[in-house]
Amino acid sequence: MTESVTTIKAIASPLPSQPQGEASGSQPPKSQKNMTKAERREQQEKQRAAKAAAKSAGPSAKPAAAAGGSNVKSAPSAATVPAAGTPAKRSDRRGTVSGREAPNMFDEPGKARGLRIFSHFGLPKPPGQAKGDIHPAIIRLGLQFSEFKIAGANARCIATLTAFKTVIQDYVTPPNNTLSRHLMTHLSPQITHLVSARPMSVTMGNAIRQLKLEISGSDIDLPEQDAKDALCLKIDNYIRDRIIIADQVIQEIAGNKIKDGDVILTYARSSVVEKVLLRAHAEGKQFSVIVVDSRPMLEGKKLLSVLTSVGIQCTYLLLPAIGAVITEASIVFVGAHSLHSNGAVFSRAGTALVAMMAKQHSVPVVVCCETYKFSETVQLDSFIKNELAPAGDLFSSFPITRPKSTLTLSGQSNLEILNPLYDLTPPSSITAVVTEVGVIPPSSISSIPLALGRSTL
Amino acid sequence: MSGMATEGSSAANQRVVENLASRLRRRQVVGSRETALETVLVLRQVVSKARFSNIDQLVEVIRSVGRKLVEAQPKEHTVGNTVRKVLHHIREEYHTATQGTTAAASTSRSTLSIAKFVLQGQPRKQNAPPKASDETRGTLKENDPDDPDAFARTLKPVLMEAIQDVLDELETVYDNISKNAKDHIHSDEIILTIGKSSTVEAFLKSAAPYRKYTVIVADTAPSYSGHDMAQSLSSAGISTVLVPDSAIYALMSRVNKVILGAHAILANGGMFAITGSLLAATAARAHSTPVVVCSGQFKLTPQWNLYHEYGALDFADPSSVLGFEEGNLVDKVDVVNPYYDYVRPELVDAFITNDGDHPPSSVYRLIKEAYDDEDYEL
Repeated sequence: MTESVTTIKAIASPLPSQPQGEASGSQPPKSQKNMTKAERREQQEKQRAAKAAAKSAGPSAKPAAAAGGSNVKSAPSAATVPAAGTPAKRSDRRGTVSGREAPNMFDEPGKARGLRIFSHFGLPKPPGQAKGDIHPAIIRLGLQFSEFKIAGANARCIATLTAFKTVIQDYVTPPNNTLSRHLMTHLSPQITHLVSARPMSVTMGNAIRQLKLEISGSDIDLPEQDAKDALCLKIDNYIRDRIIIADQVIQEIAGNKIKDGDVILTYARSSVVEKVLLRAHAEGKQFSVIVVDSRPMLEGKKLLSVLTSVGIQCTYLLLPAIGAVITEASIVFVGAHSLHSNGAVFSRAGTALVAMMAKQHSVPVVVCCETYKFSETVQLDSFIKNELAPAGDLFSSFPITRPKSTLTLSGQSNLEILNPLYDLTPPSSITAVVTEVGVIPPSSISSIPLALGRSTL
Repeated sequence: MSGMATEGSSAANQRVVENLASRLRRRQVVGSRETALETVLVLRQVVSKARFSNIDQLVEVIRSVGRKLVEAQPKEHTVGNTVRKVLHHIREEYHTATQGTTAAASTSRSTLSIAKFVLQGQPRKQNAPPKASDETRGTLKENDPDDPDAFARTLKPVLMEAIQDVLDELETVYDNISKNAKDHIHSDEIILTIGKSSTVEAFLKSAAPYRKYTVIVADTAPSYSGHDMAQSLSSAGISTVLVPDSAIYALMSRVNKVILGAHAILANGGMFAITGSLLAATAARAHSTPVVVCSGQFKLTPQWNLYHEYGALDFADPSSVLGFEEGNLVDKVDVVNPYYDYVRPELVDAFITNDGDHPPSSVYRLIKEAYDDEDYEL
């Protein structure tokens, strides 16, 4: 949060005038701490750039970096550097360990301010440094996450909880310790390992928080096996109640919104929306579906094959073409990664565009989302918390006829590739949210616990 | 209808026109500027070989050529625009040649009144009939029965010059648009663009030595022309960020300006542009970010897209969206792959053309000045 605040302050401060693109050598006086940090940062980056330039074959990298370095040293970049300093440092360390293209992004000290404002996005890094005792089930899960074999908020949560059941069953309380106190410290490194593979989803976070609550509340007097079985039962119940049954209720409620002759537009692949459509079709409703898809993940193709295999009439197009078909859609169904207290929906990148176009053409936008996806934070834009897909063609989403040279940075100076996986849809673009407690307007999600008499969701 | 004119135009003319028409039909000539250049070259050849005894015959010849070319590829609007431009120049030259002083400068009247203001666009229509009937004008001998080619002979050099003007304008389009690029871009700005428009590319590259800024390029599926644009810009020293189209809304809050290219600018100030432009422009409007369109004036089209019909779009090969490698999905699914988007005038803030910057509300005036009323329907 503070990082974005510093960058906003930096933009507001007056820029030194740059008549010819030559930066003024003197910087306006800042606090001593910032200046030294910036100086330290610049020095570190210069050293790293020199090292990288000496290592890499490209002779053009050096003059480009040198030219860039001398040109861009305005006050805002100095101010954003301490802001971006800590996450950049962390990612640098990760980058050098992995030895992938990621280090290039931070090695050039002269990069324009524009690139640095994205530097706090979580960069993906490979799992593999398993520190401490990581259960093999967790190692396997980490690998599956980092290769996107398991993707989607619900899928990841269920997979995590199932893996935790195995870990709990294999856990042995050390002597002079109680399960309720020690199990959590045993689980923490496992969780850290999963987070290092891919940043934690809100669903996983909520589930783990609930699990922690159950663990700390477990009876001390129970024999170990009974306590473990009780925990596994609680995990099963959580999955059953908050995900499986919630999905069934959502299918029913959302299915009521589908009439014969409707044209339903959906984006990418939401597990909930897929179930809604399949159930509505099984009930005999006649409708057709428009599937809109986009890079980097191109998940819509999988949804397409599922829907066509049961005989639903489908149209497929890529995101830029949506303007041509939006007037034909009667309702838009999208899924969500998480729902925030201000009513904003954090979902697959591109959902915001779909919702915006639909709202422009008066097509209702319905978000299908279980209540356990609710996050108590207020999220205002897509930058605060986002994830970047790894460079390269991991999802085979690039046409085979095109050269793949632009998919990885491979020695191109001045070029950076960003593949944000999520974006934030503002509540103004959303018509309604279908949850298992009913159809609610997006801003009401925070009042649901109160309405149900619970303290948390 | 064009009896005397068609027997005047040689078979070579026909061949040249047919050649271009078939290439247009098969989409072997794609892109606004390329089609405009080819059309001007064909017209130059037609005019140089044409035989006519008065101006109307020449106009008819050019019009019939224009009709044939437009029919071949109605979605390439610059073909029709170039024909109209050539006709406009030809008429202007003819007026100056026949009348000298009180010719095409008739638009400037000394007395200003509302009536004159409203009629401003019509003066040429009023002038044309009197001139055709009165044949004792200067040295031009129209419809001379003894020497049918005298008229053509005297007028042709001037006409060729006029056509050369049109050609020059087309060839210097990028330079003229990029002249003031550094006044439109300030330091440390973040600009969003999509696809690969040569006009936008030239514009951004010309500002690069004067300003340090960042360009975010969206890859613009399914042509992925954004990738080519990103490589071109980054090799010119501009720091570029390549993102998929899905990230446009996510990044829009940080973007200072959206710069787009156009395929054709319509009479109401709207435009046809590469698919994805509507997304970028709408997202920019949602964030109150200015949208600037760089295009040459040869893209101004005196046509309208009032009903925003599906059929106004051009559709491209669906296999780039869902190819045959998808197997049995291919015959179960409808695939939509439009080539262009229609962007409403309300979404665009300014058009930067080779002849100055104009808001969409002034486009009708530019069209009035560039083309003659009677040519709107070729």
